[in-house]
Amino acid sequence: MSTQNNFVFKALRVIAWVIFVGLSIEAGGLLVNFIFSIFKPEFVGNLYQKLDLSEMYQRSKWAFYGMYSFVLTIATLKAILFYLVILLLEKLDLSNPFNSYVSTKISQLSEQTFCIGLISYIARQVAKNMEHHHFDTDRLDAFWEDSQAFILMAAVIYVIAQIFKRGVELQNENDLTI
Amino acid sequence: MPIVVNLDVMMAKRKMSLNELSERVDLTLSNLSILKTGKAKAIRFSTLEAICKALNCQPADILEYVEETNE
Repeated sequence: MSTQNNFVFKALRVIAWVIFVGLSIEAGGLLVNFIFSIFKPEFVGNLYQKLDLSEMYQRSKWAFYGMYSFVLTIATLKAILFYLVILLLEKLDLSNPFNSYVSTKISQLSEQTFCIGLISYIARQVAKNMEHHHFDTDRLDAFWEDSQAFILMAAVIYVIAQIFKRGVELQNENDLTI
Repeated sequence: MPIVVNLDVMMAKRKMSLNELSERVDLTLSNLSILKTGKAKAIRFSTLEAICKALNCQPADILEYVEETNE
């Protein structure tokens, strides 16, 4: 493995850790926000992203809980996605990349990315539908505006996962060729 | 697998140990062990040639086809 690749992988590991910590803080912040918006709605204005959905809460509890569930689920899944990326980068060895662990992790990444894309897409459609009923969902758009990008990324990762699966088979066959 | 490796039988006939064969054919002990226990997926012609030369035998003495029964 060249020193340039070594450096790139170290940099990727650091970036993945930074993004993971950022996404975990976001998910935690949203959870705190959710708890405060139920018990102390007057504090929400001072909290993370000032995500105040108290108006929605007053109009319909179901809409509020539904939208917050989508936001929390997507934020948590994104944090888990980057945790999987960290696990993958920690174990990835470029001199012998085709092993079952890496293949499984890439498959999991693909599934996780697809889940995020699908849930984001559903949430986006639900939010659009709620706008017809005069709910203000503009502030939530940022959470699911990249749903199609996630679905596309899932498809690309799925292809890579399949290539890796075949690579593992070839590696095993090669190892057992005397 | 229906292909059976009779390396151990030939080694016994020639009274040759795994260490000696390993030195003569320039293969590691672990690779020879994989071949002997039938775990190998494939064998290179060069390896087969070296083993046949070392054991003074034919490929058919080492490899055998046995039909699988569905029991």
